[in-house]
Amino acid sequence: MGVIHPDIASQMVDLCAALLLLTCFAIVAQRRLSACVDLFALQSAFLAATAALVAFLTGIHHIYIAALLTVVIKVIVIPRILKKVIERLNVTRELVLTVNIPPALLICGALVILAFYITQPIISLGFLLTKDSLAISLSIVLIGFFTMIARKKAVTQVVGFLVMENGLFLGATAAAYGMPLIVELGVFFDVLVAGLIIGIFTHRLQDTFDSVDTSKLTELKE
Amino acid sequence: MGFALIVLIAAPLVAGLLSLGTRTRRAMEWLQCAHAVVLLAAMSVVVMDVAEGSVITVGILLRADALSAFMDLMLAFVGATGLLYALGYMGEEFTRGHVLHRRYTRFFCLFNLYLFAMLLAANVDNIALMWIAIEGSTLSAALLIGFEKTKAALEAGWKYIILSFVGIALALFGTVLTYYASEHVLGVSMEALRWEELYRVAPDLNPIALKLAFVFVLIGYGTKAGIAPMHTWLPDAHGEAPTPVSAMLSGLMLNLALYAVLRFKSIVDRAVGVDFTGPILLVLGLLSVTIAAILLLAQRDYKRLFAYSSIEHVGITLVGFGVGGPIGIFGGLFHMLNHALAKSTAFYAAGMVLLRRGHKTIERVTGLVRQMPLVGGSMMLAALALAGMPPFGLFVSEVLIATEAYGQHPWVAYVFLCLLAVAFATLLYQVSRMAMGEPMEADIPVTDRTRRFTASALVANLAAMGYAGTHMPGFLRGLFLPMTRLFGVEMEIP
Amino acid sequence: MIESALIILSQAIAALLVSPFIVGLIRKVKARLQCRQGASVIQPYYDLSKLFRKDVVVSTNTSWIFTATPYILFASTLTASLLVPIFLSKVPMNFAGDVIAVVYLLALGTFFLILAGLDAGSAFGGMGSSREAIVASLTEPAMILSIFAVGLTAGSTNLSTIVHKTALLQDIVTDPPPHLMAFVALFIVTLAETGRVPVDNPATHLELTMIHEAMVLEYSGRYLALVEWASALKLLLFLTLLSNIFAPWGIATEAEPSWMALGMLVWLAKVSGLAVVIGVIESMFAKLRLFRVTDLLGVAFILSLLAVVFFYILRV
Repeated sequence: MGVIHPDIASQMVDLCAALLLLTCFAIVAQRRLSACVDLFALQSAFLAATAALVAFLTGIHHIYIAALLTVVIKVIVIPRILKKVIERLNVTRELVLTVNIPPALLICGALVILAFYITQPIISLGFLLTKDSLAISLSIVLIGFFTMIARKKAVTQVVGFLVMENGLFLGATAAAYGMPLIVELGVFFDVLVAGLIIGIFTHRLQDTFDSVDTSKLTELKE
Repeated sequence: MGFALIVLIAAPLVAGLLSLGTRTRRAMEWLQCAHAVVLLAAMSVVVMDVAEGSVITVGILLRADALSAFMDLMLAFVGATGLLYALGYMGEEFTRGHVLHRRYTRFFCLFNLYLFAMLLAANVDNIALMWIAIEGSTLSAALLIGFEKTKAALEAGWKYIILSFVGIALALFGTVLTYYASEHVLGVSMEALRWEELYRVAPDLNPIALKLAFVFVLIGYGTKAGIAPMHTWLPDAHGEAPTPVSAMLSGLMLNLALYAVLRFKSIVDRAVGVDFTGPILLVLGLLSVTIAAILLLAQRDYKRLFAYSSIEHVGITLVGFGVGGPIGIFGGLFHMLNHALAKSTAFYAAGMVLLRRGHKTIERVTGLVRQMPLVGGSMMLAALALAGMPPFGLFVSEVLIATEAYGQHPWVAYVFLCLLAVAFATLLYQVSRMAMGEPMEADIPVTDRTRRFTASALVANLAAMGYAGTHMPGFLRGLFLPMTRLFGVEMEIP
Repeated sequence: MIESALIILSQAIAALLVSPFIVGLIRKVKARLQCRQGASVIQPYYDLSKLFRKDVVVSTNTSWIFTATPYILFASTLTASLLVPIFLSKVPMNFAGDVIAVVYLLALGTFFLILAGLDAGSAFGGMGSSREAIVASLTEPAMILSIFAVGLTAGSTNLSTIVHKTALLQDIVTDPPPHLMAFVALFIVTLAETGRVPVDNPATHLELTMIHEAMVLEYSGRYLALVEWASALKLLLFLTLLSNIFAPWGIATEAEPSWMALGMLVWLAKVSGLAVVIGVIESMFAKLRLFRVTDLLGVAFILSLLAVVFFYILRV
């Protein structure tokens, strides 16, 4: 950290974190499925950049590995899988939204403010390097959560889940300087397997229900 | 003794991989029976050793204290009877041709991996690795729930995936927050994630960060524990999963998720005192009991009936921890153990009814006791236990929790007892309709082999239920003392 | 006094001269991305001079509003661009108004243009006016909030003060997340206000899609030249705001001729860069359906709102 003034370093990390948050809003405002997946890949690329930046600034080398894994898994592999699924399912547009886009954006704005409000008392605990990133990561988690609720197509729900994961990873990297390597490898493994399982399930849903519209799942209720 | 712990955790993994290579039903039976024996043997060594007062550690990764050993006891015992039962149940499906050989072996592989993930989660000495193990159990459970590939099973599997993934992601955020707090004291290292170290430095951790972490962990793992209002996946998953899986979900996974919550509670309590976590758990517990008690009456499907009963019992356990005090904590822990035994018994019996009747509608099932005495009888006994009748352990724990609640907030005890009375009446009403009377439907015969396996699982579970309700063996006493101490209370075991 | 007058004059001349070039540059970038040679970047100057020489045709159904609008529009836009620091951070016209004045001078022009679109009584004009009214009402809050977000960091709504303090990095609070959000919001506002893709397409006259072109359909001759020049000025003004509010570095902070010349060059480079970006965006994206424009502008509004709220949350 000696090379760069800590204040500037902190601002660089915050800038990267803010880019992640911006792509979140873009995902919420996007109706086309494949564009959502592209935006997710873009967000993951920003995430990898943040991780690499943190690794460079702190000199903790194993974060580089995490950044590399992010690029491989979240920028390349998972978007590929999702694109394949979309291609096979032949769905490009998401016409069914539980919440229309302008109110959804307002809700997301409120979620961001809520996240900042909640984390305000513990930000002072953090290292100087990453002042806002804990709050931003919580915002991303909440927005991903909201996307899962607000969207009906299985694929977008998956994107919501992956966005949540990105937020978590940002929190772990930027706010806590990364978990120990074994933990990060485990988390990556789980995310990859989760992506595969979700892929399997969407295929089965398509085969059985002829649709990935989860609002058609109404067999089980009280 | 570290060896026994490694064997206990590794056995399901090895068995799971080996089961993919089995060629016949008989080979699978031998393999899984051996697996069950190894599980029980390793578990007894671990439990006996921990009950003597020691803590088993293996490197920096594994650590079995009293609470972990208590989980091991449940996981290994119910897991072993579950394996026997699954051999019978899936064997029958296999013989009938409903399940092809490839899927038969895949089922056991997943089932064993599921046990492996749960055992690992209970014994790992690291909050983040515990999260990874629990996520692993979620993934294998998702595949097991959707195993039957019917519309309903897919829907249940999808709901489970979406809800539990959201939950587990929030739990990871809670874990990160805990790490964020602890690395300030312990530095950026593996140490900042270990239970032992966290207990040691808990009073110095930032209280606000820990409170926030606890809320996220509670929502996250609470989703997996089926705590209301995050319970909506639970009845669907329990209803649609293959019955051995339903038994494991109810008997083991809910307890495992509770275990994770309790671990965090014990840390947060050290930092901020019980006044923060207690009321939250109490309110969520009462809410769960209320919702379950009301919806029990509306059920027409007997597997869903037992699923709602599980939500009720998770709620009772939470009330126990919520009111706290030595009696409340003891009651909650004791309730977990007895519920695991009674609920798995109930599901074993329900699965047999499903195999022999071919449907899950309560109204069309009658005369079980007359037609199949063991199955009907054990279902009735399990229902009596679940409803809270003596001489079963659930009666003891419910009375203990109500007593402690009465001592602290009398109104909680009144509400709690009223809800228990409602649940008692509805559960017994629904089950006795099935167990009593004249059989109206023809029986679909099952093979003797199936009967042998399922009967041995049922008998073992019933025996354990009866024993745990009437005795307090030395090893349990040895586990309960340090466990209650973990929650900051000192108690005398009656 | 004379010095100030000279600066004001040079600023007006710079704005007037550079604005057609920016329009030409965007067209050139688009043409090149479509593998066309494209018209020269100075084509808009020829267009303007041609239009000024042409006769004016005015419908007999129109009132004075129709003939007055081009002058009002041109004058208000030019005045607004005098309030914005271009190559010197302390604008001599500073006393006349702050950012709110800029926003409302632009709104005044838009208001008269909407009226003029209705005035001629043609179907297209009315359609264009109603669409413009929707877009304008949605962009206005986002625009004001995003500039306020930056104003808060400098503690002033005066554009000169904001730019001056940011250029010197004195007495300001720098915090990337709100700045980034405000920048993106103002960029979206720029696209919408100046009628670029994906909100409007300046290159078509297709009745289903056009907004700005529909309103000015009845104009001809020097009136059309004034309207076109005013819209080019408006585009330049927004690009100047984007570059000088968020990254004013290079601008002259003292009224020294050499510094001002340097500031002028840096400013030209920055607005040309932004123009290239807009050209690329126009080539990459399709125009949104009118009812989807609210989604895009919703993003701008939320981001600018968050940028303002962040300031208060983070500074408490």
